[in-house]
Amino acid sequence: MFVYEKKLQYPVKIANPNPKYAQIIISQYGGPDGELGASLRYLSQRYSMPYPELKGLLTDIAVEELGHLEMIGAIVHQLTRNLTPEEIKRSGFDTYFVDHTAGVYPTAASGLPWTAASMQSKGDLITDLSEDMAAEQKARVTYDNILRLVDDPDVREPIKFLREREIVHFQRFGEGLRLATDKMDCKNFYAFNPSFDK
Amino acid sequence: MTRAMLLQSLDAVQFAMWELHLYLDTHPDDFTALSLYKKYEEKNEKLICEYEEQFGPLYSNGDPGAMWLKNPWPWDLGGSC
Repeated sequence: MFVYEKKLQYPVKIANPNPKYAQIIISQYGGPDGELGASLRYLSQRYSMPYPELKGLLTDIAVEELGHLEMIGAIVHQLTRNLTPEEIKRSGFDTYFVDHTAGVYPTAASGLPWTAASMQSKGDLITDLSEDMAAEQKARVTYDNILRLVDDPDVREPIKFLREREIVHFQRFGEGLRLATDKMDCKNFYAFNPSFDK
Repeated sequence: MTRAMLLQSLDAVQFAMWELHLYLDTHPDDFTALSLYKKYEEKNEKLICEYEEQFGPLYSNGDPGAMWLKNPWPWDLGGSC
């Protein structure tokens, strides 16, 4: 069960629309290392997590990622308001516009629609937690790349906030992996998978 | 307080609470962190009451109807600050 909170985790208020920026930032909505994939990855991995700390951690980070999905949606929405056909053509936003107008659609910047092929739920806690740590770093690099391409401080501030959250999540998943190995066979972590082998 | 000021205070208090919440997932026995969380929780409850009295429900399991539907929504320009 989920309860919606009618506010963003961090404010988004963008004075100047910019469809080129929207076309880049949409990748964190539906791209390979974006927020939709992050939340679905963690929500899905919860079921095979054997320890309560890890069930809690995956639930909480998944829910925060849904909040980040909403922030990215808000950024794209505000960047694409009041556009003229000339601005759309000049910026290169036309290839997105033809299919989605100014709607927010989960796609990578390259145009590849969101795909579950960019995430995994392996049913093995060392594998899944290692994937989660890598996923946080991949998202962090994507935000670094967005910051290399975007000058507007109204856009940069919420992107910088989101980038920092990836670093915090990486830290927490690292602690989660250590907690997991503390509970497993210290002579051979791979002797059995506590999610499956009894 | 104005809506913008209340939202900013809520953002700040809830950010501190959320950081402690995630930290407590991997450090469930840290009672210093837990008592700090409780301190922020008290402030948060007061701020939520103040916000909801003036601007309507913050949560989807709160009061339905006109106040819930009232603009702006968080993604709108001016909706989040």
